[in-house]
Amino acid sequence: MRVATDPVIAVEELDFAYRTSGQWVTVLKGVSVHIEKGEVLGLVGESGCGKSTLAYTLLSYLRSNARIDNGKVLFGGLNLLDLQRSELDQLRGVQISLVPQNPTTALSPHIRVGQQIGEVLVQHDFLQDKSVIDERIQELFSLVELPNPDALALRYPHQLSGGQQQRVCIAMALACDPNLLILDEPTTGLDVTTQSQIIALLIRLRKQLGMCMLYVTHDLGVLAQIADRVGVMYAGYMVEVAPLDRLFDTPRHPYTKGLIGSVPDVDIRKRMSQSLKGLLQRDKLPVGCPFQPRCDHEDATCREMPQTLEIVSDGHQVACQRWRSIEPGVPVDLTDAEWSTAPGDRSLLALDNVSLRYSADTLFSSVFGRSSIPVVRQVSLSLRRSETLALVGESGSGKSTIAKAVAGILPPLTGIIEFDETGLAGDIRRRTAEQRKNIQFIFQNPDASLNPRSSIEQILSRPLVKFFGLSNSELHDAIDDSLASVKLDSTYRARYPDELSGGERQRVAIARALAARPKLLLCDEILSALDVSVQANIISLLRQLQTENEIAMLFISHDLAVVRNLAHRVAVLYDGELMETGQVEALFSPPFHPYTHVLLLAVPSIYNRRASNVPARTEIVGTAAGKGCAFAGRCPWQLGEVCTQEDPPWRQNGQSNWIRCHHPLEELSKRATWHLQLNGTGKPG
Amino acid sequence: MNLTHWFQLWRRSPQSLRLGSIILVFWLLVAVFGALWTPYGYAQLGAGLPLSGVSWDHPFGIDQLGRDVFSRVLYGTHIVILLALAGTTLGVVIGALIGLVSAYIGGWLDEVVQRFAEAFISIPFLVLALLIIALAGPDLSGDPILIVMVVAFVYTPRITRMARAAALDVITRDFVTIAKLRGESAWSVVWRELLPNTTGTLLVEFSLRAGYAPALVGSLGFLGFGIKPPIPEWGLMISENRQLILAQPITVIGPGLALASLIVGLNMFTEGLARILGRTVKLGEQ
Repeated sequence: MRVATDPVIAVEELDFAYRTSGQWVTVLKGVSVHIEKGEVLGLVGESGCGKSTLAYTLLSYLRSNARIDNGKVLFGGLNLLDLQRSELDQLRGVQISLVPQNPTTALSPHIRVGQQIGEVLVQHDFLQDKSVIDERIQELFSLVELPNPDALALRYPHQLSGGQQQRVCIAMALACDPNLLILDEPTTGLDVTTQSQIIALLIRLRKQLGMCMLYVTHDLGVLAQIADRVGVMYAGYMVEVAPLDRLFDTPRHPYTKGLIGSVPDVDIRKRMSQSLKGLLQRDKLPVGCPFQPRCDHEDATCREMPQTLEIVSDGHQVACQRWRSIEPGVPVDLTDAEWSTAPGDRSLLALDNVSLRYSADTLFSSVFGRSSIPVVRQVSLSLRRSETLALVGESGSGKSTIAKAVAGILPPLTGIIEFDETGLAGDIRRRTAEQRKNIQFIFQNPDASLNPRSSIEQILSRPLVKFFGLSNSELHDAIDDSLASVKLDSTYRARYPDELSGGERQRVAIARALAARPKLLLCDEILSALDVSVQANIISLLRQLQTENEIAMLFISHDLAVVRNLAHRVAVLYDGELMETGQVEALFSPPFHPYTHVLLLAVPSIYNRRASNVPARTEIVGTAAGKGCAFAGRCPWQLGEVCTQEDPPWRQNGQSNWIRCHHPLEELSKRATWHLQLNGTGKPG
Repeated sequence: MNLTHWFQLWRRSPQSLRLGSIILVFWLLVAVFGALWTPYGYAQLGAGLPLSGVSWDHPFGIDQLGRDVFSRVLYGTHIVILLALAGTTLGVVIGALIGLVSAYIGGWLDEVVQRFAEAFISIPFLVLALLIIALAGPDLSGDPILIVMVVAFVYTPRITRMARAAALDVITRDFVTIAKLRGESAWSVVWRELLPNTTGTLLVEFSLRAGYAPALVGSLGFLGFGIKPPIPEWGLMISENRQLILAQPITVIGPGLALASLIVGLNMFTEGLARILGRTVKLGEQ
């Protein structure tokens, strides 16, 4: 279908190495890739696969400890790797520009954003005249759909939201009309709704300006919305390159199949049947196929034979010698949920009208009546034994704050928390040992939640000693049991956290929580720091542990796909207030709360590619906090006065699902569109 | 850890560390064996003609009382080093303890401890040292234990602040929260979670302070508030011989050189060590 034309940029046979602790480690091996005019090439792979390194090589940007052993980067007839710094300065930011991952650190905090873009224009001699520059800045800001460009240009980065900051970074990258835009995980730190808006912007910019892009991400769902072709990388090798649809419909490489199979999706009924086993061990890579140690289809020669990209069909290449004899991956329809723990009947945790605030009132604020608004307002939740309740919402919605209150880190301002039918003190120091044992917290980032100076044995022994008074051989056995429960063997005892991979560390953190034999696990975004294949493993581990031990979980996540795969019930929070609660199946079928609907539309799905139905950008209309519906300002279905002035009523939907909205349920059902776009096998619900 | 590994480590370590450790090893050997090898006793009168100059028999000359200065320097090495190290160690242990606990408990206790530490830091080293010696009274004057205490007391507030700053960084980490949620005692959190994660900083602090300690001990000796004669503490020797500086400068230059080279050696070593530790502190122990 695609006639090979002159590519805009082409990487040929690139070998790349980093020097770490005195040794050269190869991070890219024989990578060839090209981007054609007007094309968006996606690069995907798990952490450490070399995708970002490859992206930066397109800018010929090398860190001081990097070395290029072989290969070329051809752009406009030049090999970028041969150019001097002064020559590169003529290219970078002018013809090839970069949108970095984290806009907060990419923008200089003490310079007004308009001026920062002005600098780019002046630096590259693109424009000189002050008034022309100002005009160009306005033009760029309107191009990236920033409101009130005049006023915004005078702001400092910290006065902008994350999404706005990323828009400024994109505007900066576009300043000199580049031919190629390199995007390194540009939406990773953003909320899902902001992410969908940024992606919609990029799609529109690409149509409007006709430039080509390299989009680097770990998120297949995002690529499914924007990429034309996708390159899959593994351990520094390009293992498969294919047009988007062919990659998702008929993936050839076993790694690609596993990767796609590992992605949790909001469309739960479809799933690639394959998952990934084991972990990438860089120091044990075979000379042949890098994926051989983890592959289900390996044969005797895979280990020895270096793999090269072979053509499967036009534009589809795979670096697997056995691709002819392996069936391509096919999404299968799942009829039942794979697991079912029936939650018990008895209530375990109940929050009744809980409001939370970070700083206590000072004398000043109480005298002058300027007390701050609570970050969580009048939330009532209940959780039964062995049930998983997911708390969903964007950053700042107060979901982690609620977990902190349950844990006893943040005493509630008002309201009651009950656990096991007895009141729970707000402060951890006033709780009984039994209560402390029964509620265990698992944090998002295992790097921070494990003491780097303690061995795994020491880490796991504390709860066992503290809560059960174990010692000697009993303790020894209990530690082994704890490790075994998260599928780690006893050789891990003597290791330290920095000797473990991210997934293993999170397992240890889970094992530490389980060692207390709790009744309730508070899981605060425990999957978001992990790669998808590791995520999939931990999800199945959690399910299994829950079935075995009858543990209830309060599962905090921004990821609706994970929630759909793990939770029994879901509570949706917006700006500290509950919007909807209900069974997971009911939440993913109409009627939807308007906010839930906005969230669902924003979730990128690999089974709903190039989704065009990005919700309209709604400006936040000032609503008096504590008055009316918290979501009114952003609601696409806002009714007007009633929403901003009056508290919305809770409407019961079915037996145990509640939606808090001024719209009647029939109206909400009528307006819902998300469930219609799930292609394939019928309607959910 | 085999020999080649150590060799590698040696080659990759900073220049200052290498040079410093050579000087330091030299002085440690002198401290251990010096007292056995002294050609004359440290208090032996009539080892040579008083005030005779440099000769093969008396490299640092002979003092007023006819004692061999070189023998006295060799003998005095272990005294200087022991006083300095003991004082620094005591200071670091107490300072770290106060700093970590103060940081963890926080609140008004932390506030009070820190203001006290600041008050003590604002008083110059020597003035503070002399103040303590004066308070201790004439009975204890010259007691080695007092000297150790003085060094420790002078250092404690500085270490306290350092330890507190390092601990504040650790306290916000999730594993400390987990320990609190488990109901661990303050002592357990300080001992298990905070201390192991601040040892790097504390070690750096220890080595830097240890580098200055001989100077402090020497200064006290010079002023006559240190070890009492005839024990050949270097600062005291410099002080005793300073009237001879015009007649036989070598009797002052000798112990002066010894003190200077020990301080320079210690500082180079500790500075190099601090750089290595600073680099690897984050990696945890292997």
